[in-house]
Parts: sequence; structure tokens; C-alpha cells
Amino acid sequence: MSEHESMRGLLALAAAGALDSQEQRRLQEHVRECAACRRELEIWSGYSQGLRQLPQPPIPAQLMERTRARLVQEHAAAADRRWDELMLGALALFAWTVGLTFWFVTRIVTGGQLIFMGANLVRFGTWSAGSTVLVWLTAAVAAIALGRRRRELRRAL
Amino acid sequence: MILAAAMNPEAFSGAQDAITRIRRGDPDALTAVISRYQHRLYRYLLRLVREPAVADDLFQQTWLRVMEKIGRYDVRRSFEAWLFSVAHNLAIDFWRGKRGESLHDAGDAGDSGAAPGERLSTGEPDALERLLDFERGAMLAASMHELPAIHREVLTLRFEEDMKLEEIAEVAGIPLSTVKSRLRRALEGLRAAMEARLPGGRRA
Repeated sequence: MSEHESMRGLLALAAAGALDSQEQRRLQEHVRECAACRRELEIWSGYSQGLRQLPQPPIPAQLMERTRARLVQEHAAAADRRWDELMLGALALFAWTVGLTFWFVTRIVTGGQLIFMGANLVRFGTWSAGSTVLVWLTAAVAAIALGRRRRELRRAL
Repeated sequence: MILAAAMNPEAFSGAQDAITRIRRGDPDALTAVISRYQHRLYRYLLRLVREPAVADDLFQQTWLRVMEKIGRYDVRRSFEAWLFSVAHNLAIDFWRGKRGESLHDAGDAGDSGAAPGERLSTGEPDALERLLDFERGAMLAASMHELPAIHREVLTLRFEEDMKLEEIAEVAGIPLSTVKSRLRRALEGLRAAMEARLPGGRRA
């Protein structure tokens, strides 16, 4: 490829201000000598200038306000979600603590023997497994109920 | 009070301060930043997706995403480039979700075309005068509208947003060399579209 051809390939980028200093210097030298490339560069500069002055699109009505409302809504929903999760965690912990306390009391009252269908309910393993299952079942039901409420609220909004 | 100040672009005093407040989850601080960038971001999205309703929705989604991801923004880097890259990614998701398109498909022409040398030699004697015509802006905008999305994107980022090539690379997630080649092809495509519109012009 001749110098002239390779320089022509750079003209559009030159007008876009996208050449590195070495390319820029080579092009300047070439354009000084080459009238055709000078003319092309002028045309590309016309495009660059035109692109910087394109008609500006009008911004849709109340875009800012609508965006802000959506953000506030989303922010509130996120805060609700965080609060719900915190409450669920706290409730699960509370329920488990109550279960443990109740186990202590029952153990003392029954003397460590409370047989139901052949199983000793006051045995720590049985009791903790039973109460953990109960706690998580309750938490799951609460989470489903909360999720349903959130969906209803979102529909209402 | 914060909101009142935030709604007024004149009262905007330092992007860093606003970004720190956004990180704390303050929606009013985000309003200040939205106010500052709304015209530019909407224009970018509109140039990219071409449909005002889609640009409107993506604009809102961009700010929701900014609020969500602001913790990952590195304050040493350009906020603008980060913001536009968030919008860019959402536009890609939109096309993917729409009909499995990518940014490369979203347009009429491909990324290939005649060799630059061929097209460069076609300037009509009065092409510059025509370019400087008062209708030039509208014709240029219409010609740009015909280009593929990846070309519309580099043109708007370079000429309307006045971004450096490095920033464009960051927004579009492409290497610097690709930005340059894409920019050149975009300009050539634009010129071809423009010449096809001008009486006596020819399509390359």
C-alpha cells in the first residue's frame, strides 16, 4: 500500500481526533503535499462538525420525576425486604430460644422422661430436631405470606 | 431541603460528594446526579435503541442499577464512563431479551463494507457545500439512524459526549483498537448513507 493510500485510510479518524501523535504527524506532512487528501480531510471535518451539532432529541415529559418516583419506590421496597428478612431471622432465633428454654423446664418437670409413641421427647436430639423443623416451617409459611403481600402491593402500585 | 437543592443543577456541588451519599443509599443524592446527566444519558440511549419508549425505560432502569451497583464503582475511574457502561449493558440485555439479538445485529448494515480507499474517492465537487447546508443536521441524524447500533454508539460517544477513545472502550467493553476501527467504519457508513441521500450522490 502506498503512503498516499495508507494516509487516506486515516483521514476519517484524523477528523474525529482519534489518531495518535505519530499518525497525526505523518498525516500532516502528507496533507501539506497532497491536495486530494486535503480536500478529503475537509469533507471528513465537515462530518465531524455536523455530528457535534446534531439536532438534540427532546427529553420525555417528566422523565426525571418518573425516574425519581421509581427509585423511591424501589428504595422503600428494598428497605421493606431488609426489614422483613431481619424480622424473620429474629423471630426464628426467638422461637428456637423459647423451644430450648421449654426443653429445660420440661426436662426438670418430667425428670428427663416423656415418652410419646416410643420416643423420649425430652431427649435433646429429638427435641431440638422437632423444634427446629417447627421453627423453619413457621418461617417458611411467614416468608410465603410476606412474598404474597409484596406481590399484591406491587400490583396495587 | 436536600431534595430541593438536588433538583437544581446549579446547586450541584461536587459529583464525589453526591456519589458518597448515593453509596449510603440516599435517593435524593441520586436525583442530583440524574439531573446532571439526564439529557446526555437519554440522548445516548435514544441513539442506541432508536425507540423513545425503550430509551425512556432503559433510562429509568439505568438509575435503578446505578443505585444497586454503586458500591462496585471505583471512584478513581470516570463516573461518566461507568454510568454509560451500565446503560450499555442494559441495552444489550434489552436486545437479548427482545429477540435474541446482540448489539452487533441491532441495525440494518453489517460491520463490513467497501474498502475505505474506494469510498473516499467519491466526494462530489460540491459535497462540502451541501454538507454545510442548513438541512445537514437533520440529514445526518437520519443517516446515522440507519447505521448499526455499534456504529451509532461510537459516533454519539465520540462526537456528542466528547469521550476519549479510552472511555469509549470502557463503556462498550471493547479494546482500544476496536474502538478506532469501529469509529472509522461508522464514519464511512455515515458518509455512504449521506451520499445516498444527496442528489447526485452515490451509495458506495
